[in-house]
Amino acid sequence: MTLLELNNVSVHYGRIQAIKDMSFTVEEGEIVSLIGANGAGKTTTMKTISGLLNPSSGSIRFAGEDITKMKAHIRVVQGISQAPEGRGIFPGMTVMENLDMGAYGRKDRSGMAADIDRVFDLFPRLLERQKQLGGTMSGGEQQMLAIGRALMSNPKLLLLDEPSMGLAPQFIRQIFKIITEINSQGTTVLLVEQNANQALARAHRAFVLETGEITHSGTGKELLANPAIKEAYLGVG
Amino acid sequence: MSTTEGPPLIPGAEAKKISLDRESAGAHRRGGWFNGLGQRWNALPRQKQWFYLIIIVVLAYLLPVVNPPFISTEPGNNWPLACAQMSIYALVAVGLNVVVGYAGLLDLGYVAFFAVGSYTAAMLTSPDSPYVHIPYLWTLPVAMGVAMFFGVMLGIPTLRLRGDYLAIVTLGFGEIVRIMATIIPAMKGQVGFQNVGHPPGTDAAGNAIFLNSNGTPWYWLTLSVIIVVLLLAGNLERSRVGRAWIAIREDEDAAEIMGVPTFKYKVWAFVIGASVGGLSGALFAGQVGFVNNQKFDVVTSVLFLCAVVLGGTGNKVGAILGGALVAYIPLRFTAIAEYKFLIFGVALVLIMIFRPAGLLPARQRLLAYGRAAYNKVTGRKGVGDAGGSRAMSTRVSDEEKGAQT
Repeated sequence: MTLLELNNVSVHYGRIQAIKDMSFTVEEGEIVSLIGANGAGKTTTMKTISGLLNPSSGSIRFAGEDITKMKAHIRVVQGISQAPEGRGIFPGMTVMENLDMGAYGRKDRSGMAADIDRVFDLFPRLLERQKQLGGTMSGGEQQMLAIGRALMSNPKLLLLDEPSMGLAPQFIRQIFKIITEINSQGTTVLLVEQNANQALARAHRAFVLETGEITHSGTGKELLANPAIKEAYLGVG
Repeated sequence: MSTTEGPPLIPGAEAKKISLDRESAGAHRRGGWFNGLGQRWNALPRQKQWFYLIIIVVLAYLLPVVNPPFISTEPGNNWPLACAQMSIYALVAVGLNVVVGYAGLLDLGYVAFFAVGSYTAAMLTSPDSPYVHIPYLWTLPVAMGVAMFFGVMLGIPTLRLRGDYLAIVTLGFGEIVRIMATIIPAMKGQVGFQNVGHPPGTDAAGNAIFLNSNGTPWYWLTLSVIIVVLLLAGNLERSRVGRAWIAIREDEDAAEIMGVPTFKYKVWAFVIGASVGGLSGALFAGQVGFVNNQKFDVVTSVLFLCAVVLGGTGNKVGAILGGALVAYIPLRFTAIAEYKFLIFGVALVLIMIFRPAGLLPARQRLLAYGRAAYNKVTGRKGVGDAGGSRAMSTRVSDEEKGAQT
């Protein structure tokens, strides 16, 4: 079943067009990666899906419903959750309070309790650091917190904006392993990455973004094997 | 969930445990004399906290009567009147703290709401006003209502702006209200309104209790209002709304994608702040007895902001302290009163260097859900690797305990 569908979406910052007539779908249960260089429109795409930006034309459908005009805070309740770029945790709140904010739109306390367990199982480090202030943790821990917090709304679709940004290689592998695990537990993942190698290897399907347009698409393995992509994004060729 | 729902009062040992957790959460931001005080205060059991609170409140009520030496502003300024002014500034600071401290919206035009409240009280009670007259005490809720209306009027168009842009627009709003008071004939410009009303009541000799020349009853009235506002603000702070404000202050975009309707809650912060500003303006008008357009300039707005920053942005007790200090210093040190802005400027610079979070920094609290979730987790730790259901029952029983107290 198609979970997310973008139809000819364009986004402008003032007069500058950041995304041009973009269309793609995300099927339920998939990991889909968007890869591209700086300024390709990856983060803009994410913000448009989460509702922080409004498209100037086109439509977005989520779980069969048109959400183009829906406010960001309502999309969360509908099941779209984002771990923003640069992590975007609340630096003055503790780990626990950050996770708590992730469940802000929820009323079912028993479900929340189960999700806290789930987050702590995925990220045992967060359990150890639960009383520490978010802003005082290392980059990798903050990334874990951002993903954990996004999971606290029990999303159908998890949007991850550059989860590997600024992390050490062993952290990157760990984060991607966890993303695969989250996906295997039934959460659909849309991933934006510059680290094309990992992002393509883990993805069911992937799209390559260049200056606001999708230039290549296919399964992760197909794109990994594509010579043009190898040269442009994987540094080999 | 209602806005007044907060964590239950926690008796004895449990309160201690949680307060210790709070400390460890914020330990690295602390240090110094005031902070030690805050830590010790948090470590006290509830009953003792209440005990000390009652003593502090009684002392606060006695303040204008005892006229303590050294602290007193006499002979330069009448002490009870100084107390009344300090209390009004403190109330203003509590209101502005909701906007600036909790929600993190820099409002440089807060004096506008204060002015709206003052004019509402004056125009509804002064014999100089041709309009309908109502008893003074009724003007307090009316002033709040009118100020709230202005809060919505200002908030809805401007709260889509952020940071510096919002500050500039609010600065403009402050000026608009002052200039309106000058150019609208009904608001009487510099001539103003004399003999603004006061609460009813006469003493044994038949003189009115609430005189402009007697600060003590005004101080008591304002102090009582402050206590009520503090209780309400404290509840708000710990509620869902308070959590939303803190999240907005920390990172507005992140708050929005957590499911916080940020715009709505920003307007709420503005409106609640405005209502307290209007209320304090009405009290000010009654106490001084005279309202004209000279008292509501930008400098006063900055002074209000000074009070909040000085006291500790986001801390309501700090706001009271800051407000009282800002009113007190020029009254106490009359010789240097002319230089008050110089002194506040230097004081602010020094405070920003040595205590960047203000005299009484905002405490990081475990928020309502956070605490419940935290109890759950400690339960989880206690029972080793037991599954969620076991841990959950711990949490539920904690909640029941809370409900019983």
